[in-house]
Amino acid sequence: MSEIVIASPDAPRGTLLRTALRSPSFVIGALITLLFIAMALLSFVWTPYPFAAQDIPHKLRGLSAEHWFGTDQYGRDVFSQILVGARTSISVALIAVGLGIGVGVPLGLWAAARRGSLLDEIIMRLNDLVFAFPALLIAILITSVFGPSATNAIIAIGIFNIPVFARLTRAAALSLWTRDFILAARVAGKGAVRISLEHILPNILNTLVVQITIQFSLGILAEAALAYVGLGAQPPTPSWGKMLADAQTLISLAPHLALIPGLCIVFTVLGLNLVGDGLRDIFDPRLQRSRR
Amino acid sequence: MSSYLLGRLASLVLSLIVASIVIFLVLEVVPGDPAQFMLGLNASPDTLAALREQLGLNAPAWTRYITWVLGMLHGDLGISYTYRTPVSELVLQRLGVSLPLALLSLFLTMLIAFPAGILAAARRNSKTDLVVTGITQLGVAVPNFWFAMLLVLVFSVSLRWFTAGGFPGWDQGFWLGLRALTLPAIALALPQASILARVMRSSLLDTLEEDYIRTARAHGLSRSATLWRHAVRNALIPVLTIIGLQFAFLLAGGIIIENVFFLPGLGRLIFQGITQRDLIVVKSVVMLLVFAVILVNFLVDLSYILVDPRLRRR
Amino acid sequence: MSLLAIQNLRLSIGDTPILHRIDLDLEAGKVLGIIGESGSGKSMTSLSIMRLLPAGSAASGAIHLNGTELLGQTEKQMCGIRGREIGMVFQEPMTALDPLKTIGAQVAETIWVHDQMSRREAMAEADRVLDRAGLPRSLFPRDRYPHELSGGQRQRVVIASAIALKPKLLIADEPTTALDVTTQARILDLLRRLVDEDGTGLIFITHDLAVVAGLADDVAVMRHGDVVEAGPTRDVFRALAHPYTRQLFDASSHVPRRDPSRSGWPGEPSGDRSDTAQERPGGEPVLVVDSLIRDYRLPPRHFLAPAGKFRAVDGVSLRIERGENVGLVGESGSGKSTLARAIMALEPAQGGSIAIDGTPLSDRDLVSRRKLQVVFQDPYGSFDPRQRVETLITEPFHLLGADAPHGAERRARVDAALTDVGLSPADAGKYIHEFSGGQRQRIAIARALIIEPSLIVLDEAVSALDVSIRAQILDLLAELSDRLAISYLFISHDLSVVRSITDRVLVMQNGKIVETGPTAEIFANPQHPYTQELIAATPNLERALQSGLLSRTAGEGDHAKHGGGGGPTL
Repeated sequence: MSEIVIASPDAPRGTLLRTALRSPSFVIGALITLLFIAMALLSFVWTPYPFAAQDIPHKLRGLSAEHWFGTDQYGRDVFSQILVGARTSISVALIAVGLGIGVGVPLGLWAAARRGSLLDEIIMRLNDLVFAFPALLIAILITSVFGPSATNAIIAIGIFNIPVFARLTRAAALSLWTRDFILAARVAGKGAVRISLEHILPNILNTLVVQITIQFSLGILAEAALAYVGLGAQPPTPSWGKMLADAQTLISLAPHLALIPGLCIVFTVLGLNLVGDGLRDIFDPRLQRSRR
Repeated sequence: MSSYLLGRLASLVLSLIVASIVIFLVLEVVPGDPAQFMLGLNASPDTLAALREQLGLNAPAWTRYITWVLGMLHGDLGISYTYRTPVSELVLQRLGVSLPLALLSLFLTMLIAFPAGILAAARRNSKTDLVVTGITQLGVAVPNFWFAMLLVLVFSVSLRWFTAGGFPGWDQGFWLGLRALTLPAIALALPQASILARVMRSSLLDTLEEDYIRTARAHGLSRSATLWRHAVRNALIPVLTIIGLQFAFLLAGGIIIENVFFLPGLGRLIFQGITQRDLIVVKSVVMLLVFAVILVNFLVDLSYILVDPRLRRR
Repeated sequence: MSLLAIQNLRLSIGDTPILHRIDLDLEAGKVLGIIGESGSGKSMTSLSIMRLLPAGSAASGAIHLNGTELLGQTEKQMCGIRGREIGMVFQEPMTALDPLKTIGAQVAETIWVHDQMSRREAMAEADRVLDRAGLPRSLFPRDRYPHELSGGQRQRVVIASAIALKPKLLIADEPTTALDVTTQARILDLLRRLVDEDGTGLIFITHDLAVVAGLADDVAVMRHGDVVEAGPTRDVFRALAHPYTRQLFDASSHVPRRDPSRSGWPGEPSGDRSDTAQERPGGEPVLVVDSLIRDYRLPPRHFLAPAGKFRAVDGVSLRIERGENVGLVGESGSGKSTLARAIMALEPAQGGSIAIDGTPLSDRDLVSRRKLQVVFQDPYGSFDPRQRVETLITEPFHLLGADAPHGAERRARVDAALTDVGLSPADAGKYIHEFSGGQRQRIAIARALIIEPSLIVLDEAVSALDVSIRAQILDLLAELSDRLAISYLFISHDLSVVRSITDRVLVMQNGKIVETGPTAEIFANPQHPYTQELIAATPNLERALQSGLLSRTAGEGDHAKHGGGGGPTL
């Protein structure tokens, strides 16, 4: 579950990148994340072997020069599968985050602009309702009717992301609506929509960016879990979660089949979380002070 | 207090109603013809008609909805198509595994997270803090089912302290049953505890910046006395919310973990239901799980009244 | 021997030096006032005495309390000293108490932490102390929680917990700054009474010279981590030896220069009590408010009960003529902020009307709002941190719609506005965080001026500024008002500020205007009991210095009895 941090909008801008580079959290996290993104992008143009190519005589081999990560029970190259799996995980999580932002942020801004009204109540109630359905349950609902697929996984995770962003945006926006500079904009005759776009949104971007990294990492975990139980991307498309499911029965024979995809998940999520932590430290000067 | 309580109660009932409508719509209305859906394309017209009769599909949707809700309130969850037994029986059986698992992992989560979070906050930026922060950073990134597999590898396959899976049933003895749930509960608890510990730490750090902490120090309280007498209780309030939300993830995680350990719980039931297109089972189990989450959040809201006097007298 | 002796105290936090060399003395039973503006280090000095400094602090020098050197004590020893030998009261009463503990328990805490008595005995003792602090059990049961008390009442609880064990030294760090004037007066009386009864030495920290003049025997003026001057209060304020002291003193009693040809120049009561202002050229009044009513909906008590109503503004009428400056004073809860927001078309009114320059005000009709602008209180919250000054001060052009200037004309207006407020046109390209508090208020004024309004509402516009900066801004405002014939509606809780810049004053209480008239008249001859109470409660520097002379001589006898020194008993 995410921690809700309202980043102070008073942090001076300018040397943001330079400050970011001074944060070890951010740098390490960014490097790891970029590594996996690179792997995913690479998979579009090249993999050492076709990921679905079976080679039964060479099955269940360990790490070697020909197969950097070994082979699975069908002789397929694990490294190639990891590369394509990276693509699956990252794209599912990314699109799901996009869904969450695309719907959640406008809802949150709208609810905050109409604080206390019926619309606000309704949006908050809907949020609470979706929170009662963990992403897995939503996935179960969708897949029992429409069948499992990567798309349905995206929809399920995305639907759960919507109230996360809606609630966060609303909370952050509300804390700004009472500030004097918003009052000044209202005295200047500006309406709620204009103020939301011109003043509120730019000042909550910090908070949103931090949350994006968190939801991204949660999306990777969620995709892996769904794939593990067979509700995500279907074979032959590789997915780290599916690889783990297959590896389960073979765990004593070929532990690398279970270890490698798992470690990939751990590191990708870790990388994203470190980036998020680093960004949070940069954006919230209060935290910086207490670091001393 | 009564207005807060009534408000929360109304919220509870409303959420349940809307949730049930959503579930009903998705599982009964969207597939078009649930009977066709369940039986597949090759079903004979007679079997289809019989099933439609059995499911009462000839009545309009809203009456079926009311029947279903009324049935649930009486404990009647329908008859499973695949098992030919009342769903309520199946559910009760499986609950005997899933519920203790959820409670055990919740207990373990709090047992680990609270001391870790409090300690890390009390000794901010010390070695202890760094260790806790580091471990939780890792713990949050670990998928619980993968961690479960590793636990099996180490403790069952290598060390043989626990079985690799399965559940003997409570009638074989309480401790035997508990032993079967230990590894699963630990696997569930680790990532949740990591999250909770971080939230506890963060909440406590915020609380320690408050003015009343300084007042307590000015009275002559030591740092640790101030922490325990003033900070922890105030820091708990936002943490309670998180626990409520975490319960949902715990249930979902439990469903997945049951797969790793071959536990005969609600998770297995629901996945079999999906594979066999047994919508009756899926409908009821999903409703039950959602009900559990909404109920737990309601209890958390109630607990606020106990902890925070600002919500009491109105 | 003095109760407290601070010698050569230096303090740095991390790499930043905070206190350079502090020497202070306090005799038992006496009051030492420490005056300074923000950044002077006055709070840090008190925290050094208590050894409650933030992490990374390094303090050197000596602090002797009755012979015990405090900087050398271990943390455990300091825990024994805090609360028993030294009590402390802080600035923000609203957040100073644990919201989850009863007021009785929090006062008792000080007692049982130090004494060996049982919890029940401690509670009984706490009960007595709360009585002393003006919170009798009959009205304030000891199982009340802080959120059920007002700011002034919470401060009494904090004071009670600080003096529960009759400490030798009491430190009060701006204890009344966050309180209303009338509440402040009562809390000051309470502190005076308590230290007289117990013979406690009191260090009173404040930025308000008038408060300190009426309360302190000795005074120390701090600036940028140094004590620039110290000595007996009346001597320091009469002599004004150090230039900074003189600057502070002048700023506190500063009256901006106004154009003497204007009638109603402050300082000259003319005996004219009529509600309307003098005859002025250019007839149409700038603002006419007629029987304005503003209600707030309250949440229902029970589920089925109807929603309640709270009338924040109850049939208020007022007029402001062209070029006239009108003050609106009231304490918190008076409704003045609500009235201001209604006038600015930020909130709907449930009854009555508002007209600006003759045009009825409507929040949808942007044209009707062109003649009105506002300057807010908080220089740090009034601007979007992501925008440059030019964008910030041209925001009101939105009201002009299609008539808004572009290109060269717009540039010219921006430059003119910045120059008018004493800044340079080059500042237009900067970001707001590059400016100080006073400069930001100037930019806020520039923003208000740029569309050439007839009326500017100043909502506590100088309340958050240091005294010396405040004087400069008031000068600026007076000059602009005279030169550009702009009217002000000057809202404040601070009567001394209102007195210096307005022609007429309205006094507001509980949603109604209880008294109105020319400023000088109201201050010289308040008629309504509430106005009288407000003026009597407002600390007045001159008055304090005069009467301070008398009360201190009378008090010296008592102090001598408690302090043990020789001296004539009166």
